[in-house]
Amino acid sequence: MGVSAKAFQSWRNRVAPNESTADLCRRTGIKRSTLAQQLVRGNVAVATVVRVARAYGQDPVAVLSEFDGFRGLAEGRRAPSAAELISQVPYQCILEYVLARAGADQEHPAVPKVAGYADSIAVRPWFDAVDPGDLRPKLSAATGIAPQNISAQLTAGRLATRLAVEAARQAGVSLTSGLVVTGVLQPEEGGWPPTGREEALAALTDAELVSLARDRLDALAKVLRKREQDDKYDHALLENLG
Amino acid sequence: MTAGFAVQVSAFALSFLFALFRLPDAIRGRNRSIFFCMVLIAVSTGLSLPLIYEFVDPLLGGFNLANLLLRYSLYGVFVILGLRGAAAFGAEWARRLIVGPVGLVVLGLTVVLTAAFFLASDIPVTSTGLLDYNDQVSVEVYGMLGRLYPAYVAACVCAPALAAARNSRYRLPHRIGSGLFGVGLAVVVLFTALTLVADIGVFMLLLPFSAVILVTLGLAVMWVSNRLQMRRPAGAARLRNVTKM
Repeated sequence: MGVSAKAFQSWRNRVAPNESTADLCRRTGIKRSTLAQQLVRGNVAVATVVRVARAYGQDPVAVLSEFDGFRGLAEGRRAPSAAELISQVPYQCILEYVLARAGADQEHPAVPKVAGYADSIAVRPWFDAVDPGDLRPKLSAATGIAPQNISAQLTAGRLATRLAVEAARQAGVSLTSGLVVTGVLQPEEGGWPPTGREEALAALTDAELVSLARDRLDALAKVLRKREQDDKYDHALLENLG
Repeated sequence: MTAGFAVQVSAFALSFLFALFRLPDAIRGRNRSIFFCMVLIAVSTGLSLPLIYEFVDPLLGGFNLANLLLRYSLYGVFVILGLRGAAAFGAEWARRLIVGPVGLVVLGLTVVLTAAFFLASDIPVTSTGLLDYNDQVSVEVYGMLGRLYPAYVAACVCAPALAAARNSRYRLPHRIGSGLFGVGLAVVVLFTALTLVADIGVFMLLLPFSAVILVTLGLAVMWVSNRLQMRRPAGAARLRNVTKM
């Protein structure tokens, strides 16, 4: 669910009164057929709104806040918590940082290095990081989306825009965080500082860092074990019937 | 050409084709039993076509020995399908029901009784499917035996196959393959159950040969998947595929 086409059109006429749809598409790189389809359906994707806002130099979060369903988004934009920032650090970077600290001395302190946001944002780790334990049922109750549907989206590494905003609201974190980790907003648009993750890592004590690494390795081992088990099943199938 | 005959011919053509496809691998020693099973399916479906039956049976003496051959090859098909299917889906209890003491007694009894009722029947002239002798009780029992054993094995394997089709931990092509295989076997059970209680007319041909087509297609999916798998290098770096953790 995006925003209503009517509201989008009236906003667009205010922002760019003299621009035709063709101009708009050229500026934003959105395909004309895509935009036309969204307008006919009466439902414009949030990604479209964000791209148009960017193209006309507006703050996407402030713009989104003008639409029903996203009211209060700009006021709810805060700095992300350390847990949220760390959830967006790939395990490789964490392990490298552990090794860097192990080899650091007075003259050469360990400096955390984290892959760019674009390569490391992932909604599932973020969701787990902000989940106090009952986020799925609460999110389901607030949106009417079945819990298994929410879980399926997370497993597939996705989360619908409305759900991403509502999850942040239910978890009590910055309202824009969900949109950052689903890639709808750029990190800086969502109020995520460019070096926030490095700072959050640097603030960890050695014990916290090692525990974090252990948790990540445990989670990784679980995923790999499941895959290897699945492979074994598939192998048995092919070995006997293939 | 009736629908029944069309299904019959397609079943024969498909099983013959996929037996051929599996021939090169079988020569190299890979999964010979399923190849042999496909050959037996082709033999069974072939011998149920009048054109082939009326050519083969006179060569065997013209007293419908080809029909007995058909029955036995069908039993062979189901022994292989049952064993391989149970192993493929990890259904140990199904394997035990098929080749455990109970299974072997059922198989032995079926084989002996089939031969006994064949000998007891008066069937001197070549007749496809023994249709000319349907009025004899011994022929009827002989036919029923030929349906009961396949249904027994099919009942054992169709449940694990259908469970695999519903299991999202298998890859999608394997779920489709297992589904076709399982539904095919379920049709065998359904068919036999129906013949026990009613005269099913045209479904007498439609059901069993649709089952053959479904099972053959299911095995074909597995075969294609296996071929594709072999082209991929073994032990591909899986850790690289898990980046966002």
